[in-house]
Amino acid sequence: MIKITDLEKYYATEEVRTIALNKLSFQVQEGEFVAVMGPSGCGKSTLLNILGLLDDPDGGSFIFNGIEVAGFNERKRADLRKHNIGFVFQSFNLIDELTVFENVELPLIYTGVKPAERKKRVDEVLEKMQIMHRRKHFPQQLSGGQQQRVAVARAVVNNPKLILADEPTGNLDSSNGNEVMDLLTELNEAGTTIIMVTHSEHDAKYSHRIIRMLDGQKVTENVLSEYKSKTLEV
Amino acid sequence: MSKNYIKIAWRNIKANRLFTGLNIIGLVVGLCVCIVLFSFVNTELSFDKMYSHAEAIYRVNMKTSEVYNFETWAELPNAVGPAMVKDIPQVKRMTRLIKDDFGVTASLKIGTKNFTEDGLYLADSTVFEMFDFKFLEGNSKNAFANPNSVVLSQAAKERFFGTKSALGEFITVNNRDTLQVSGVYTNLPRNSVIDCELIYNIMDSWMGQNEYWSNASYETYVQVQPETPVAQIESQATRLIDKYVAKEGQYFTRFYLQPLTKIHLYSAGIGDGYSSKLGSITTVRSLVFLSVLVLLIACINYMNLATANSQKRRKSIGVNKVLGASRKHMLSLFYVETAILVFIAVVLAFGISFLVLPLFKNFTGNTLHYSDLLATPILIGLALIWLLVTLVAGSYPALSMTGISPLSLVNKSTKKHTASEVVRKGLVVFQFAASIILIIAVTVIVQQMDFIKNKDLGYNPDGVVAVSVKSAENRQQVQNLQNALNRKTYVAGIAAVQSIPGADESGRSVSRLSTDQTGMPIASCRTEGNVVETLKLKLLAGSELPQNIPEGDSLVYTLINEKILHYLNYKTPEDAVNKPINTELGGKAIITGVVANFNFNSLKEDSGGYMYYKANDAPEGIRTLLIRYNTQNLQQLISDLEQTFNENLPNTAFDYAFVDRHVAQLYASEERTARTATLFSVLAIFVACLGLFGLAAFMAEQRTKEIGVRKVLGASVAGVTRLLSKDFLKLVGVAFLLASPVAYWIMSAWLQNFSYRTPIHWWVFGLAGLGATLIAFVTVSFQAVKAAIANPVKSLRTE
Repeated sequence: MIKITDLEKYYATEEVRTIALNKLSFQVQEGEFVAVMGPSGCGKSTLLNILGLLDDPDGGSFIFNGIEVAGFNERKRADLRKHNIGFVFQSFNLIDELTVFENVELPLIYTGVKPAERKKRVDEVLEKMQIMHRRKHFPQQLSGGQQQRVAVARAVVNNPKLILADEPTGNLDSSNGNEVMDLLTELNEAGTTIIMVTHSEHDAKYSHRIIRMLDGQKVTENVLSEYKSKTLEV
Repeated sequence: MSKNYIKIAWRNIKANRLFTGLNIIGLVVGLCVCIVLFSFVNTELSFDKMYSHAEAIYRVNMKTSEVYNFETWAELPNAVGPAMVKDIPQVKRMTRLIKDDFGVTASLKIGTKNFTEDGLYLADSTVFEMFDFKFLEGNSKNAFANPNSVVLSQAAKERFFGTKSALGEFITVNNRDTLQVSGVYTNLPRNSVIDCELIYNIMDSWMGQNEYWSNASYETYVQVQPETPVAQIESQATRLIDKYVAKEGQYFTRFYLQPLTKIHLYSAGIGDGYSSKLGSITTVRSLVFLSVLVLLIACINYMNLATANSQKRRKSIGVNKVLGASRKHMLSLFYVETAILVFIAVVLAFGISFLVLPLFKNFTGNTLHYSDLLATPILIGLALIWLLVTLVAGSYPALSMTGISPLSLVNKSTKKHTASEVVRKGLVVFQFAASIILIIAVTVIVQQMDFIKNKDLGYNPDGVVAVSVKSAENRQQVQNLQNALNRKTYVAGIAAVQSIPGADESGRSVSRLSTDQTGMPIASCRTEGNVVETLKLKLLAGSELPQNIPEGDSLVYTLINEKILHYLNYKTPEDAVNKPINTELGGKAIITGVVANFNFNSLKEDSGGYMYYKANDAPEGIRTLLIRYNTQNLQQLISDLEQTFNENLPNTAFDYAFVDRHVAQLYASEERTARTATLFSVLAIFVACLGLFGLAAFMAEQRTKEIGVRKVLGASVAGVTRLLSKDFLKLVGVAFLLASPVAYWIMSAWLQNFSYRTPIHWWVFGLAGLGATLIAFVTVSFQAVKAAIANPVKSLRTE
């Protein structure tokens, strides 16, 4: 599903040029759950931005679903993004002025789904995330765990092929954190590809494979559990 | 989708109470000013357009020759109108309008009551059809069927006769003519220069019966055939001069047509004319400019506050973009938000306009009615303003904020947006530059008004009251009144004159020899003497005019000012005394005394030549008693004067005026300008402060962490306040540097309107700069101190 080859990204200020990604290469199969780990500043977030089509690489190749997307302009990336990718952030990034329902509804509005269909799908996903009873609340009225469940609901409401999670449990206590990890595992088992950036060894163990990075490069790769492509199984 | 925008926008508006509040207040002030002024301007521009023949009616004006300094006059000889109708086929009809007794307030006697009246006109009967008169009693066809008929406006009728019918009632004018009411017409429109309250037939008077080309006192309106080229009529009219007037009598060189609808606003520089309803296009233009300026400042305020506030919304913009919102989606959201806010402001401002209308009237002296606010152009204008302000004020935040990359959300460190910061600073500089210009302008205007009020006029108008005696039944009555007043202890001097200075003098010219081709145009005023004493003129040489002239003495005694002295080429005032002077008054004239120049006209003009004269066979009458009084109790003074007046002139209305107030009247329009400018400046500065206040709040918030760190490291409250205020004060400094030359240039140009003017002092600029700095400092430091005294632990935790 994802194949990156010799991916490069620099950040330049007037005096210094920082290499964020240094000829990074790896692949992710459809249906896989991959954890990316590494110390602060190793390029994890930059990688996630590029994988999430929020940013453009400075060099190398990025093939998404068989299409070379490196060099796509913002509009093309946005279009691909809104139909294929869901995001879960460490700080949830819910919009404070919108209710739970409206936050989850937002991606459907931007993909042009009709109101009746939107309501149906939002209700379904809220039910699934067990947050239905809070649908009219504003984010500030929820606990951290509940907020992250809403964020996950928002990420999956459009049935994306890929979910990118940036330290999804970073702002949660352990029991809420585990709950979110269980949710992600469930989604993965249902077929969604997940790439998760994390500092937590505990969380990483939920994945099939851990990629460890340092200074913009891949250092090791541990396979935790053999992943079998569902398409192969069929 | 749009429902969603409105919902989200509305929640944003509600969520940011401070910003919404500041924004709405700023916009409401700006819009309120705009609404009130636009309705004022709309009324000014609507003048005389309601008449059904408005497009075909012109006032004939004329250019005078060198004898009258090539002036332009709106009053013509009474022969011009009839000659135009007779000789120019395209002229359909004409009417002449002239105020009774050339515009001196008339005294009316109705039954046993006396009234004074300023709106008594003589006119041709064509006036009724040309200006769409609607009759409530009588009719336009028969109004002047009988000799000595008079028609009244409804307002005049109610004043004189109350609710009963006026038809057939008698009115005695100036103890001279008795007229019978033949009709009552609905009041003329408020926005018309035609301001007749009573009209009687010009053909009943010598003013219409004899046609002559000499005296020019008649406003003449013509109605032309549709589609006639005006230039053609003008040249035909001008040719009448050679046809009817002998060369030596031609003191005018050209006639031209001024459209009726242009008279109200475009009559600056045109001499005389009787209407009391003249406006000025300059005033209209400057008011439009000022109101647009205030509105612009309010728009900038909005931009500043909205951009500052939207920094807080980076997250929500970022999230939306990550989730697939296009730039168009976000633009719509921002514009919807602006549109809602501006809509609220427009509605509020419109409501408040009704409340402030009386205030506006009190403050600026400009009359506006509630109905003026409901005029269709105003309502359409409101919708346009709503649209325009939404587009202008919403543009910058919408365009700048929707350009935010979704990356800004995931990147932990937010980059500084230098471009938007520069624009925001530019906007603050603009606001303050405008405010500083206004402060300087107001200071200079106030100084100039003070200068004028305190300038030595060359005579002392304070403590002099003028009582009209022109409608006295005979000369003896006036003499009796004068004798009676002379016995009063509060009277310090009385002069019987033709006119108070600068009101109703006669235009003449003087020369040294009767053979001189052109003389010097001057104002001449008949008097019975005692003017130097009563008006406190400065006598340079010679003496007052003689108290008594023996009967049969045909000599004209004159008192001239220095202007005339110099024209006559005398080296010193003493040289001129007892020398002859050629005065156009008939008979020989000598110079009895010379007085220093005095400003009988507005100080906008240089003081011209002035001559008092006394003679046995004077062509002008005594119309006014100037009485110098030495009491502080004015109420008592007036009631005693009235009583004495009524004892001696029982059939004449008591009409008086304080001379100093007459002088103040000369500057009424400048006084209004000063007050209006002050009002605008205060509002502009207030609105600018609102923006600054919001901006400072935003900056302080943005630097919360920095302030926290600094405080942990030992910074004092004063230090932090200084840190935050410094940036703003720099902007005010830049604004000051930009504003000063512009203000200097504008105000120098304005002062050119005055012959006597105050210099623009350097300290005015200092004052404006200091004022602006102080205002900015107070506004900003409020926020700065608040940020500085906050607990640093709290601010550090916000990250």
